[in-house]
Amino acid sequence: MAQALLQVEEVYAGYGRGDIIHGVSLAARVGEIATIIGPNGAGKSTAIKAIAGLVRPRQGSIRIGGEEIGGLAASEVARRGVGFVPQEANVFRQLTVRENLEMGAWIDREHFEERLERVHRLFPVLHERARARAGNLSGGQRQMVAFGMALMVEPRVLLLDEPSAGLSPALVAQMFETIQAVNEGGIAVLMVEQNATQALKISQRGYVMAAGRVAMEGAARALLDSAEVSELYLGGRR
Amino acid sequence: MNPQLLVNGLVNAALIAPPAIAFSLLFGVLRFPNFAIGGYITVGAFVAYAANVELGAPLWIAALIAMAATALLVWLSDEIVFKPMRGQPPVTLLVVSIALTLILEQVVRPIYGADVRGFAIPLQRPFKFWGIRITEEQIEIIALTILIAALTHALLQYTRIGKAMRATADNAMLAEVRGIDTGRVIMFTWAFCGALFGLTGVLAGLDLVIEPLLGWNLTIPIFAAAILGGIGSPYGAMAGALMVGMAEELTVLVLPSSYKVGVGFAIIAVLLLVRPRGLFGQPEIKK
Repeated sequence: MAQALLQVEEVYAGYGRGDIIHGVSLAARVGEIATIIGPNGAGKSTAIKAIAGLVRPRQGSIRIGGEEIGGLAASEVARRGVGFVPQEANVFRQLTVRENLEMGAWIDREHFEERLERVHRLFPVLHERARARAGNLSGGQRQMVAFGMALMVEPRVLLLDEPSAGLSPALVAQMFETIQAVNEGGIAVLMVEQNATQALKISQRGYVMAAGRVAMEGAARALLDSAEVSELYLGGRR
Repeated sequence: MNPQLLVNGLVNAALIAPPAIAFSLLFGVLRFPNFAIGGYITVGAFVAYAANVELGAPLWIAALIAMAATALLVWLSDEIVFKPMRGQPPVTLLVVSIALTLILEQVVRPIYGADVRGFAIPLQRPFKFWGIRITEEQIEIIALTILIAALTHALLQYTRIGKAMRATADNAMLAEVRGIDTGRVIMFTWAFCGALFGLTGVLAGLDLVIEPLLGWNLTIPIFAAAILGGIGSPYGAMAGALMVGMAEELTVLVLPSSYKVGVGFAIIAVLLLVRPRGLFGQPEIKK
């Protein structure tokens, strides 16, 4: 089995005094899409924020390509090849679309023009609205800016927190297609998604989190086919 | 209307604008109103006084020394006072900043006393154009302020660090996630604003007199200009300074000049009641 690019082992983390996640272990392998599903309050976002450096793990280990990144500042985690797209407040509202993408390329400006072109190919509307303030865009367009920013560098792992949240059904399908396209370009993806069925369909691996722990894990297909997962987390749909 | 009042208002606005821009920039990245600005301005004026009058340096060199000294002072005040308190509520930090301005003022007072002083520059007759009087120093103050506004604009719009300042002010968490070292951005912002406070001390010392309360007397109009323009918006602060500066001078048409100092308070009170986000401020959006 291929060595995991991102390896999270027995991580405890939370805000203030209490822990929200308790001994969570996750992995994302090269070329893979892994999805974390689970009910609200399961600790999915906390887990992904701990990897991104926004929540300090109290215990456990987070490694990227074998290097320990647990406890590093978010800016240092980003420099080690982890791209994170938060669910909320994920664009610089006062900056233009173009300036947002420039900020995306903050740690690596060398291939700016070619990456800008790639982002424009993925999301043509960002080219058309380059001079618009990001705060004036629609929710779907803001999500594209957020995604585009993370692609202005060449992340090894892309962490996505609810990438389809707030999007219309047509845009949700488009977003998942884009995630697949990005992944096919060689970027490993670890995402948290409420839209569990669709997310698992494009994933190779899945995790089910509940009450701050990983309750189940396995091949995404197997989770989709599991009667228990279907009943509890996919609304009985297959 | 007496055109002399407009010129006086313009000079007044030019004195308020640089510190109002700095106040707004600091608020943008640190999210609290820093009332220590009065102390920083006073120290800037006295450092320039020491360099110019006591050491005999030309005023422009004294001004550069004052800007460097206040940049250092302001950065140190962050390291020693504000950095350990990051994350505290804005009101706590506001009270701490008022204490800091009192401390800075009391450091100056035992050394220089409460006497009023001035820079070592020759007295000159004011120029007269169509009956309007304006001194060479006042022309320099206006010119320098226009230059500062243009430089700040260029910094924020066209430089990498300026864009990082705007990004950090907009969304510090996201800036970190994109790899921006926000700690360094904050340090640069303090130092840049510190230099502006030092320059303000020099400009105010040129137009007014140098005394320990110099900065404190400017604090309310600066704050009024910053919130009039929409606190956290440096462009708003420029416009706010122009309006507050003019308003202070024009009130002498209808009120005794001793009420001039109340104009800033009145603007703050009306704004807080009617439009708390200022004229150009963006509404805070919470999801």
